[in-house]
Amino acid sequence: MNEGALTKKDRMRIELAVRKIDWELDGRIPRARRRQILNELRSNLTDAAASVGGEKAVQQLGDLKTLANSYRELYRTRFDVRAGAFWAFIAYAAIQLLGLALFFAFRAGVLAGGSHGASYSFEIWPGFGPFAGKVSAGDTTNSFEVLIGSPAHILIVVLAFAIGSTYRGVFTRRRA
Amino acid sequence: MPEDGVHDSQLLKGVLSLALMRLLADRESYGYELVIRLHDLGLTEVQDGSVYPALGRLERDGHVTSRLVASSSGAARKYYRLSIAGYAALAHIELAWRSLVRALEPILSKPVPAKPKEALP
Repeated sequence: MNEGALTKKDRMRIELAVRKIDWELDGRIPRARRRQILNELRSNLTDAAASVGGEKAVQQLGDLKTLANSYRELYRTRFDVRAGAFWAFIAYAAIQLLGLALFFAFRAGVLAGGSHGASYSFEIWPGFGPFAGKVSAGDTTNSFEVLIGSPAHILIVVLAFAIGSTYRGVFTRRRA
Repeated sequence: MPEDGVHDSQLLKGVLSLALMRLLADRESYGYELVIRLHDLGLTEVQDGSVYPALGRLERDGHVTSRLVASSSGAARKYYRLSIAGYAALAHIELAWRSLVRALEPILSKPVPAKPKEALP
């Protein structure tokens, strides 16, 4: 079982498998634990590849996502940074889409009313916005403005991150 | 219906910890070596990917301890051995396993009838 006996292709296969596991675990289990897992996997895969070849060694691991999930369940922490970031992004995108939808509704109202142009500015609630738009009928100067980082935006994104990064941990503890 | 020598994966999952602890009671081993030892016993369906997290679980529960040993293959190997708590747990699980086998044996040793008996009125 000598790493020198492995082909470059085998070493690449091993590293690719280890990187895939790393990607799944990144931000979800403590960094030091992740490094230990990856080192152990790399060592075992190297030994396996020396016996059966790199392709079979990786195959014998089974589904890499399932393996990563096993490690996640095993070493789960209170926070899942990746899930938090995902929900923070979704919340931010939802806010901006809502602002855009309101602008189109306003624009449709202005055009339906036969107005030559109008501008508006509003807040969904105090501190949330402003969403601002300017509509000119008959030309292409319609514009839409939105504040990208009002205090309310920040509050909602932070809340989404906090809930998104902890809700699985809460449910897991309740089930246990 | 499994053929002779083919094992149900769910059953294997249930006894994997027991098998690993029993093997480690015999000899200190690293992950891939344990896979080979399980395959040599005829448990060829056991995947490497189920053994490694199972070892992590045993270590987290304090049933095994580990140490890193430099290897000629490059990366250091992580060798596992049964802890004192692990020996106690192994004795307990072995007892539970034997008790389960004893309980099931009278049912499983009877031939399966072609048709179940009618329920009594």
